[in-house]
Amino acid sequence: MKIILAWLAASMLWAGSVQADPPKGYPFVGFDAGLKAAKSSGKPIFIYFGRYGCAWCDHTNKQTFSDEGLRKLYTQNYELVYVDAESGRRLTLPNGERITEAELGVRLKAFATPLFVYFTPQGERIVQIPGFKTVKDFRDYDRYVREGHYKSKTLLEFLGDKS
Amino acid sequence: MRALSFLAALLFVPPLQADWRFAEPLSVSSAHGAAIFHHLESANRLGVAVSAQTAAVVWEDNRSGTPHCYVAFRESSAKAFANEIQLSEQSCYEPVVIGLGGGRFVAAWEEEGRVRARVVPGAAPALTLSGAEAGQATLAAGAGKTYAAWAEQAGRFRRIVVAHLALDESALALDSVHPVEPREPLDEQAWPALAVAGDGSLAVVWEDRRHKHTVPMHSHSGDGKVFSPPARLSEVPSGSVQGLGAGVGAMRPTLARWGATGVAAAWLDKRDFLSGYDVYAGLSSDGGRSFGRNLMVQDSFGANMAQWHAQVVGNPEGRLLVVWDDERDGTADIWMSEWDGKEFSEDVAPRGAAGPGSQSDPVATLDDAGNLHLAWIERRDDGGTQIRYSSASPR
Repeated sequence: MKIILAWLAASMLWAGSVQADPPKGYPFVGFDAGLKAAKSSGKPIFIYFGRYGCAWCDHTNKQTFSDEGLRKLYTQNYELVYVDAESGRRLTLPNGERITEAELGVRLKAFATPLFVYFTPQGERIVQIPGFKTVKDFRDYDRYVREGHYKSKTLLEFLGDKS
Repeated sequence: MRALSFLAALLFVPPLQADWRFAEPLSVSSAHGAAIFHHLESANRLGVAVSAQTAAVVWEDNRSGTPHCYVAFRESSAKAFANEIQLSEQSCYEPVVIGLGGGRFVAAWEEEGRVRARVVPGAAPALTLSGAEAGQATLAAGAGKTYAAWAEQAGRFRRIVVAHLALDESALALDSVHPVEPREPLDEQAWPALAVAGDGSLAVVWEDRRHKHTVPMHSHSGDGKVFSPPARLSEVPSGSVQGLGAGVGAMRPTLARWGATGVAAAWLDKRDFLSGYDVYAGLSSDGGRSFGRNLMVQDSFGANMAQWHAQVVGNPEGRLLVVWDDERDGTADIWMSEWDGKEFSEDVAPRGAAGPGSQSDPVATLDDAGNLHLAWIERRDDGGTQIRYSSASPR
């Protein structure tokens, strides 16, 4: 019962404080919760940096994140974090600095949404990719991250080798 | 009506656009270190104010391991900031400050989910302003009245609430509190900004998500109690594109008194979605009852990249400028542009607030003599930050 109440409370808190557009069916959490979970699970972090009302985010959700195989792949292998590009919700960076979700966009030099950012479980940025992407794109990025190619190649080099 | 308003705005003839002579920058906060981070973010970016011959800067930092809000003062003849005061007792965010005259100030901030305010300097305790979970406090004064506004929980979402503050020599009292809209909000409202126009009426702008994307909106009140129906600041209509999304992005509207009867707004706007947020402005010649057409603030060089942390600054004499930061020269620098009566000027990087390293998050105000007071965040080599300040007189 306590677990159910805690889940309900967390759901209400999420609904009340984040009015953005994460794709349906994915267990996205806030930045702090995602980083904490990654340190425990050892999974890399996938950040969906979206904007409330963003057409390209909507397009990506409908065309790409609706794929059941992709949902399983990312749900099972990543800590999923959703960040609202215009939100004043607070988060804490790995270096201890407390900023807002909107300010994270400044630090990421985000110029467009959606922006997808992969972090190591320790919170080190691996790669960030802006704009609409396909299911195949996200499967390639998954290999780049989880197979460790990022340690020796840029994403472009990896994608070039692959083709 | 909007065209008439804009024509009237053009009739404001501000002083000839000035070059500014900036003094050598000063450090504001006494605490620095690799893991100490200062923040100047607040509703309407009211991080610096002037009262008589004293400048005050407010900020939040984590020197104690907990985010607290601080204020520091500097007499115009002094070489450094002094008298740093901790405003908060518990976790504190997004402080603002305005001058009251005579060397007195009012500061407001969010503390443990409530909005608090007090007169500084002075021994009077802080007053809790909000009745529910709230934050993003802001202030404005003029025509003998002092107002606060904040975003307060009302049902599922937050809405904008405006309060009239009564004050004597050293203490504040809450005189009245009214939401801009009496009904519960349909979606999130946030980041209010206030300005008291020359006729004593009150203008308010804020972020509003009722159209399922963020739209800067405005309202007006003659008495701070009853407000006009909210209207859009942004001319870009809401709506999906081929059934996708709800509209372009925008955020953090700011507002300032401008000229005898005007107010001016500036905000971050993503209507050009390929180059990040731009700074847009709207001018009102009727105290914020209506606004003219949207004006792009930064010049064509700046328009190719993202702008951040914009604030509009004005004064009763008609001077109007906007400050922000962007990375057009490779690292973050402070930039400013001044309204010349027809358009915003080419962008200028203030001396000492641009160059190697990162200078960002500007906050600014104009004093009664027309001097500009500017504070910003400078990132240190050790990874921490410090707050820098400079004042400038028009040449």
